[in-house]
Amino acid sequence: MPDNWSFVIAAYAIAAVALGGYWRRLVRLERDVERRNARPRRPR
Amino acid sequence: MTRVLGWLAAAGLVIGLVMAFVIAPREVTQGHVQRIMYVHVPTAWVAYLAFAVVFVASIVYLARRSATADRLAHASAEVGVVFTGVTIASGSIWGKPTWGTWWTWDARLTSVAILFIMYLGYLLLRGMIDERERGARYAAVLGIIAALDIPLVHFSVYWWRTLHQPPSLMKPGGASTMPAPIVAALLVNLAAFTLLYAYFVARRTRLLARQQQALA
Repeated sequence: MPDNWSFVIAAYAIAAVALGGYWRRLVRLERDVERRNARPRRPR
Repeated sequence: MTRVLGWLAAAGLVIGLVMAFVIAPREVTQGHVQRIMYVHVPTAWVAYLAFAVVFVASIVYLARRSATADRLAHASAEVGVVFTGVTIASGSIWGKPTWGTWWTWDARLTSVAILFIMYLGYLLLRGMIDERERGARYAAVLGIIAALDIPLVHFSVYWWRTLHQPPSLMKPGGASTMPAPIVAALLVNLAAFTLLYAYFVARRTRLLARQQQALA
């Protein structure tokens, strides 16, 4: 069977994009929460 | 602690890559394309683990109404969906050169697709209900029901005639017949992806707690 390196690279690349993308999402959400908490609250 | 987990996971993934591409030999029948196994099998294992954690945390939530258990279930389901997506994508890419098709409706692939859709539904359900307590209760029930698909996924290759091969490691009552370097590379990657799962869940759980505090 031919080695099909392109398939190997595609599989690893998709895994890296998905897992890296999730990590970036967590970083972005944390930054949003920090920004929201830093804003002064309006008195009720 | 979370930071340490993150660094351990990163180091584990680098070592796992070296094991997969340098230490593990070229497989005789499939050639280098078999190296997809070192990402496909560990992500599938993590998906099982993630949904098993959802199952246990959901039971704990229903029994004790623990907000921590609810956050753990939510975080684990989210991370599990990401890992299941990677499992399906990498399996499809592996399937094309080895089976000649990207997808087939065999029992293993179909049951994994159902698992993926059920946990997507779980996350949608959580997002749809504004009232936190009610959303958590409904999600816990769904988390328990959806977990029943995990044994179906795992044993589907024994219970039905499938194109998918039987498990590489977790064979009922039998040791692996794979060469030692391949097993070693697989185990290192299993450990690395498990660490990555723990890191993601720890970070997501903490974030959920902070989001709930901000909304309170």
